[in-house]
This record gives sequence, structure tokens and C-alpha cells, in this order.
Amino acid sequence: MSNLIDNGQTKLLGKFLDLSVYRQGLLTSNIANIDTPGYQTKDIDFKGELQRSLSGATDDSSPSFGPTVRNVPDLTTRPDGNNVSLDRESMMLSETSLKFRLAVQLMKEQFKEVSMAINDGKAS
Amino acid sequence: MNLFGVMEVSGSAMLAERQRAEVVTSNLANAETTRTPQGGPYQRQHVVFGTAAPGTFSHELSAAGMNMPMAMNDPRGQGVKVQAVVADSAPPVRKYDPAHPDADAEGFVNMPAINPVEEMADLMGAARSYELNATAVQATRGMITQSLDLLR
Repeated sequence: MSNLIDNGQTKLLGKFLDLSVYRQGLLTSNIANIDTPGYQTKDIDFKGELQRSLSGATDDSSPSFGPTVRNVPDLTTRPDGNNVSLDRESMMLSETSLKFRLAVQLMKEQFKEVSMAINDGKAS
Repeated sequence: MNLFGVMEVSGSAMLAERQRAEVVTSNLANAETTRTPQGGPYQRQHVVFGTAAPGTFSHELSAAGMNMPMAMNDPRGQGVKVQAVVADSAPPVRKYDPAHPDADAEGFVNMPAINPVEEMADLMGAARSYELNATAVQATRGMITQSLDLLR
């Protein structure tokens, strides 16, 4: 039987938040290395990783846990071998922040329901 | 790596960009310097950037022997570091100025090979990168604040 706290919804949101944090890490690395010769833009396949983690193919507690990081194709490489695109990284940064915010809000709604059940149907 | 580690990565880049700006302003300031402790005119300096894991709290802990579940080759842990400051190998510019105290027998002075326009462009690049990293810090900060909201 599904319960209010530990259900598919919160699990999905939890994974979503985890992957958002992971992606944020890669984006800041990309931005930090915008002037590093030879650095290649890194990212994850967000949708694929989310599906993979939900299908139970990965075990969070195993040391090898972590999405597969890949180099982003189709970016123009500068003469110094660096292909970090300022526009792409800025766009992705806003996108990731907004998606993270959305997931946090949805998660709060989930907890609000639990809180409501505890407080005899009254909010807060 | 958690969100605080992500901030450290941006922080390492801000530090590196500031060092780059320092070197560039030093080049600009010494564009006319003909005397240095090493002798001869000032030589233009370049910074060399390289990826480096930032000195995060968890890194310090694992270095101190604490068992932290963090891989050292974490692709997200790639901050940036000024690996070296190297002197430009370009020969000095010879300028005819017989009245100059450092002029040689033929009346030429060895001036640093510094193009102020080039340095200004480099300085602007450093400032822009610094700003971009500051924006990234703000975005990460926002994410931390929002996740703290879950506790309320």
C-alpha cells in the first residue's frame, strides 16, 4: 500500500533534485573552466538518467553510483581546444535553477498533505 | 559533491580570474618600465589556467584521513587554478630615444613588448568571466536557500 510520505511522487522528486544538483555541479565546472585550454563541456543525459534511476537499475548506496558524464557534442571548439559556450551555460544555469525550484515546491506540497493529515485536515 | 562544493568550484574560478586580472593590470602598469630587478625591460606575463579540484571542506577531511564518500576524480570537482605565470618570450621593442637614461650607444631604448589594447581586451575577458562565475554562485545559493525551505 502506498503511503503519503514515501511514495512514487516523492521518490521521483528526490531523484530529480539529486540529478539537478549533479548537473549544477557540471555547469559550474564548465563555467569555471571557460578559459582553461583543452577543457571540453560536460553534461549528463538528464531524462535518461532519471528513467534509469527510477527503474531501480542503480543503487544509491553503491560506491559507483553516479550518472554517466559525457562531453557535449556539436559545440564549436576554439583554437585553444576549449569548447565551453557562454550562452549554453547561462541558459542551462537558469533552466536548472528553475527546475530545481519547481521540484522543491512540488515536494513541499507533498509534505503539506502529510501535515494536513496529521492536523485533522487543517492546513499548516 | 553537494551544493556547497559546487560553490567552491565557482569560487576557485573567481580566484583564478582575479589573479589573471592582477597579472594583466601589472602588464598595463609596466608598459613603459625599462628597469627591473632582473635587469632589462619588463617582460609581459601570462597566466596559464588548468583544471584542479578545489580545496573543499570534504577534500580537506579526506586528506586528514577521514573517510568521506567522495571520489577525487569526480568530474564535477573540476575547479580552475592558475598553474603558472609565464613571461612572454617576445623580444623587447626598440624605440629611438637618445635622451632616455637607458638608451644604448645607438640611442635605442628596449621597451616592453606590451600592447595596451590587447591587455584591455584580456582584462575585460577576465571581468566578464568573473561576473559569470558570480552569477553561478548566486544560482547555487538560490538552490541551497530553496532546499532549506523544505524544512519549514
